Amino acid sequence: MHEESDAELIARAKEDPEAFGLLYERYVGSIYNYIYYRTGNHHDAEDLTARTFYRALKHISRYVDRGAPFSAWLYRIAHNVVANWHRDTKRRQIISLDELVMGALKREDPATLTEEYEEQDMLLQAVRRLPPERQQLLILKFVEQMSNAEIAQVMGRTEGAIKSLYHRTLVALREDLISQENRREEITGRTKDE
Amino acid sequence: MNKTRMAEVLAAHAEGLIGRPEAMQRLDMTAEERSRLTPLFQLAERLRQSMQPVRPSAAFVRSLGRELVDNARRQVALAKRLRRAAMIGAAALGSLVSIASVVGAIVFVVARLRARAQARALHAPTG
Repeated sequence: MHEESDAELIARAKEDPEAFGLLYERYVGSIYNYIYYRTGNHHDAEDLTARTFYRALKHISRYVDRGAPFSAWLYRIAHNVVANWHRDTKRRQIISLDELVMGALKREDPATLTEEYEEQDMLLQAVRRLPPERQQLLILKFVEQMSNAEIAQVMGRTEGAIKSLYHRTLVALREDLISQENRREEITGRTKDE
Repeated sequence: MNKTRMAEVLAAHAEGLIGRPEAMQRLDMTAEERSRLTPLFQLAERLRQSMQPVRPSAAFVRSLGRELVDNARRQVALAKRLRRAAMIGAAALGSLVSIASVVGAIVFVVARLRARAQARALHAPTG
């Protein structure tokens, strides 16, 4: 069966509610993942995913195809929704138990479990401290498994710019992790002294 | 190693992590480059392991989908009603304008006739 392209569905969605439903089904997973990794918990990811799609529905009649993929438009809405959420709630650091990670770790030795989980949690927290566009790059790369060319299209940049941004992101993330590790050691040392 | 080369190698390595090893195979990496970039390669590998796709709950996806389609239906119906109201409004306005112009024309003709009759009465020979 012929699968309708995004452009066809968008044109139809302006008059036909079912077409918007199909667009939603196509992108809900990606948008949910993006928001989940930006907020760090499922509860807010659900809330903000709903807000993103309600906003998209409200503005779909004014959507103009400028050559970028439809997902770029949705990610932009999601980005704004997440930014508002951060501003409104000031809850930048929400420590959550990622169910998938926990599920995987539960199968392993309990002694190494805590340490591994802590490391993973530290890494994800460090990712959430990065500027939004760097977080988006990592999410599109590792969660959505997009190529650099695809990421460039979604983020409206050249492939070269994406490669360079990825390089800078890794360097910044590494520096952040090292400084966090040093701080932790300092605190542990102080506690031992006391 | 310059920054562009570093960015190229890291990007190729990331492509390899997500199942596209061709880019990495094309790069002719030296041992020095490899050892220099090892910490960043390791960090990228940790990111790959930690950033696994998550799935929203099926119940959430279903219920939000239903709500959105219902909302879209209401939005389309409202837009149709607004369009119809606008058309009726425009038609009513058009009719009013036509009636007003007919009335205006009648008033104009009557006024002209009256003025002509008055003028005739003034200039009529007396006696």
